[in-house]
Amino acid sequence: MSERGLQITGLRANVQGNEILKGIDLTVEPGSVQALMGPNGSGKSTLAFSIAGHPSYEVSAGSVTLDGEEILGLAPDKRAKAGLFLSFQYPAAIPGVSVANFIRSARQSLHPDDLTPAKFRKLIFEQLDVLEMDAAFLSRYVNDGFSGGEKKRLEMLQLAMLAPKYAILDETDSGLDIDALGSVGASVDALRKSETGKETGFLIITHYPRILQHITADRVHIMLDGRIVKSGGPELAHEIEREGYDAIREQVAASVG
Amino acid sequence: MSAKAETAIRGVGRASLDTLLERSGVGSISSQARYDALSRYEELPVRVAIRGGRTWKQDLEKLDLTDLAVGDDDAVEFGLEPSPAARRSGVTIERFSLARERHRDAFERAFGRAVDTRDDKFASLALAFARTGLFIDVPDGVVLDEPLDAGFQGRESAVFSYTLVSVGAGGRATVIERVRSESGTPLVCGIVEIVLAERAHLTYAVDQRAAATTRLIVTRRASLAADAQLEIACAELGGLHAVSRVRAVERAPGARVQTVALFFSDGAQHVDLESETIHAAGNTQSQTIVRSAGTDRGQGRYIGNIKILADAHGADASLRDDALLLSAGAHIDSVPALEIAANDVRAFHGATVGAISEEELFYAQTRGIPRAEAERMIALGFFEPAVSRFPTEALRDELRVALENKLGAKAV
Repeated sequence: MSERGLQITGLRANVQGNEILKGIDLTVEPGSVQALMGPNGSGKSTLAFSIAGHPSYEVSAGSVTLDGEEILGLAPDKRAKAGLFLSFQYPAAIPGVSVANFIRSARQSLHPDDLTPAKFRKLIFEQLDVLEMDAAFLSRYVNDGFSGGEKKRLEMLQLAMLAPKYAILDETDSGLDIDALGSVGASVDALRKSETGKETGFLIITHYPRILQHITADRVHIMLDGRIVKSGGPELAHEIEREGYDAIREQVAASVG
Repeated sequence: MSAKAETAIRGVGRASLDTLLERSGVGSISSQARYDALSRYEELPVRVAIRGGRTWKQDLEKLDLTDLAVGDDDAVEFGLEPSPAARRSGVTIERFSLARERHRDAFERAFGRAVDTRDDKFASLALAFARTGLFIDVPDGVVLDEPLDAGFQGRESAVFSYTLVSVGAGGRATVIERVRSESGTPLVCGIVEIVLAERAHLTYAVDQRAAATTRLIVTRRASLAADAQLEIACAELGGLHAVSRVRAVERAPGARVQTVALFFSDGAQHVDLESETIHAAGNTQSQTIVRSAGTDRGQGRYIGNIKILADAHGADASLRDDALLLSAGAHIDSVPALEIAANDVRAFHGATVGAISEEELFYAQTRGIPRAEAERMIALGFFEPAVSRFPTEALRDELRVALENKLGAKAV
């Protein structure tokens, strides 16, 4: 298989013995933006963690391939090495490790020696500008004492610095004020227009459609109770905004019934 | 050296002390004081109970020193040449053994002001045999910007050391003491005495990286006059068994103490750390920060005491102690204790013992950082709140490298 894309096929996953994902099929093509929407508890974050390889999420069936390579058996760092990035809804704090050192180590692990220290500095300062952050941010400890907005900005900074092939943004808009949301949108936008990021495929997981005003999705998928129940164009996000998830739930029930 | 072998001194009895003093003189401690101290060492029990019946984990009672190699050339001191700036300012840095002879007044003013060996077995032993060590005197009003960086390296016999640091009224200095040994050094038994006059400000750091075969028992005591300030930082990274005790007494109002300590027990290493801050006067402050880790079969224990005496109104004390376990065979005990006899004080203590969080590891891994490297990074970061409080960027970097090496040894 040399088919390009992040391809999720028949994915089932359990958390503490409960099946949360009940067969997910979804493909993120290079350069495309797929939005995955759903109410709380529908399994969106479980999907993100299962793809990234969180040890508490047990995949029972299905496959996830990244440009043709099966990644489900790989350790999380090997999945990153294959080209996957996950922006966390609740990123962990790592006290005592500076943002600069953390990103440098990550970059070095993923793309060994491809940037001189000077180029690394130049790149990270450019990205700080896009995100409207100052240099002092780099010497703070990773997510330690960060506000919600700072945490999400750090996720975006890493996204830009690590140049993945496919990025999953899990509820990146949650807990953000309008300014922070604008910065996040600008950062993703800048990445998509850049030479390194124009081929990056995005899976944007969100409860609310508002982030999609900043990042336009090619396709929108609705997830309910561990299944994707409806897919469509960007207009589907507006439908959710107008009518909520209950309307979708009723449609699905009617079609099944 | 066959001559030395013929006359090797064994054990810490009266005959050994006789021979030692005959060969190299009494140095800075009178013969009477030495023999008295030796008697106390022989009579005093190993301190069995610290608090609530808890005993030293490292069974010092079983310590057999009868065959201990004791020499008159026990260690090499280094870093004793003061810089031109230090010399101009009138700062003294001298071998302890020559201090009384060469700097009698300054020595007499400070010696014995902070240390009381009357009820302390191993401090008495150190006093009886002390030969190695440093004497540092910063006169009244002298502010020395550059750090004094000195220490000693043990050789083939036991090291008995005494380091005396005295800072006069309004004086200010930074002292870094290095403790090193060779694989043949059986024991380092020492005293560090710190005497701070009114408004004196001392930053004192010890960087202990003795050989993995050496046992250490070091007692550090500080006394602070009014408005004096002490930042004491101890890195206990070496030794087979290291017993490290720090006590600071704030004798007058306005005194402030920050105690920082870190250790990392690996292999079969044991570290026993005890810190005690005594608030003996009102409006005194103290802050204690301890970070420790254990890996392999490493053992550690920390006892942290804060005592606020009855007259110490308005005292403000905090103690924070965190321990990280990196292997199933490692063990660290933590016993923080507050003893408060005054009203209207502020006192806080908190302690944690735990492993590296899986969520932190997973997060780092999703960034492409392999698990073993993520563990190293997180563990190194764990020490950072302690490391960052040591003086000088150069020393902080040395400590980071030393910690990394311990972590690296584990990853391989």
